[in-house]
Amino acid sequence: MRTLDEKETAAVFEKLFKFTGPNLKLIVERPAVEGPAGDDPGRYCFRLHKNRVFYASESLVRRAVSVSRERLVSLGTCIGKFTKTGSFRLTVQSLDLLASHARRKVWLKPTSEMSFLYGNPVLKSGLARITEGVNPGDGVVVFSMSDLPLGFGVAARSTQDCRKAHADAIIVNRQADAGEYLRNEDDL
Amino acid sequence: MELEKYQIDLGNLMGFDATHHFDSIPSSREELAKLCLEKGTELVQAIANALFALPATEDRDGPIVHLPQPTTKLPREKHVCITKRKKGKRAFDEQTGTWKRTHGYDRINDDKDIPIIEAKLSDEPGEDPLGKRKDEKKKRIEKQKKNQLQNLKQAAKAGALPSHVQFAATALPITGTRADLPTKSSKEELENVAGMAATATASGGKFDWKLPGEKPLKHTGKHRKFLPVVEGKGMSSQEQKQTAKILEQLMAKSSNNILDVNKAVTVFNVKKERKRRMEKEIQRTTPSKLEPKKSLKKPSKKH
Repeated sequence: MRTLDEKETAAVFEKLFKFTGPNLKLIVERPAVEGPAGDDPGRYCFRLHKNRVFYASESLVRRAVSVSRERLVSLGTCIGKFTKTGSFRLTVQSLDLLASHARRKVWLKPTSEMSFLYGNPVLKSGLARITEGVNPGDGVVVFSMSDLPLGFGVAARSTQDCRKAHADAIIVNRQADAGEYLRNEDDL
Repeated sequence: MELEKYQIDLGNLMGFDATHHFDSIPSSREELAKLCLEKGTELVQAIANALFALPATEDRDGPIVHLPQPTTKLPREKHVCITKRKKGKRAFDEQTGTWKRTHGYDRINDDKDIPIIEAKLSDEPGEDPLGKRKDEKKKRIEKQKKNQLQNLKQAAKAGALPSHVQFAATALPITGTRADLPTKSSKEELENVAGMAATATASGGKFDWKLPGEKPLKHTGKHRKFLPVVEGKGMSSQEQKQTAKILEQLMAKSSNNILDVNKAVTVFNVKKERKRRMEKEIQRTTPSKLEPKKSLKKPSKKH
């Protein structure tokens, strides 16, 4: 387990920024919930272990240091991993974190929820609601009508274009969804 | 002729005229001899004068004068005992009765040719005589080396060090930068350098056979520095600084994206509309007689 160096931190923050925007500050400077009471609560930090990036509070990290490298499996929340070529990918485990700080959201109709969870992209026919000011290429978090986060992806069209588009047009290209917990159990 | 000052060395009973030169080269040998004798006579006279000037002590045979120390340095003669002897490459070995070389492989007086060493009364039983000979030889060599070193030191002290010998300490430069000082490379340094040099091949030294005893290079790969995983009280200040810096850079880069262009355009348009409406109101309520009246007549064209 080690800290991220500057390049790696920049890559992680950029990916997160696509979804959260200025709310990224809240993620980075979040006061820890757990930890020694009374003292000034430590913050959350990012740590790298076997090409996976974990988001955990400082007190948790301090305790995890006593576990040896071969034995340590996971720590806090895994938000993504670095590929062999060095690029960073967000995984579905970061969904919870992104959903609470998302800037742009998309709500799905109940009929197309299952389709999305199977791994299909969001079509115009399944779209119930979308936030204003979405531009193509923006990070977007997908919710169900009951405000349950289902996954996230990249918007293919702007909000205006969505209205004009026909029913089969792809609105959101899916990057990760909650169904992956069953499909790609081994990869996570 | 004026009186010339001769150099008199009474210790050697010698007189020397430094300014003497022949006015004209004498024609014959006899002439030369005559001139020299004349000059010599003068010098002897000068020596005698000097001698009689010295304080004399009375003795049975007559006055005795102690000569002073000689002032001229005469070269001393060679020491009689030091004679150079040449030893041939081959010599007759008494033990084996053959001609062998003096030094090296198959040499004369080698210990391994001795078949038997007779024991003396002083020898203890259980002692290895050949081993003893070996130890003694070692001791002799050590002593010789030590004496040699001591001699050199003494010579250096007296200032008579042979020209080809120079002590390491005196060879250091007195002025200059630290880079001029010859530094002894340590074993680790040499190993590192050798390792680095070994990677200077087309395939990075991966497929070269290693010599026996050559250890693989320890610090291969690029040097990377990381912040400590956990430090003291919570997140270290360095980590905080790093994250803050990167956050700021990100925010700054995308600050122009935060502005919603469409919204700004509509807001601007609305403002403009309102302004125009206000101006129209003002125009209607204040009619001005100075305004040029529009003529109702159409200009007709005369064909």
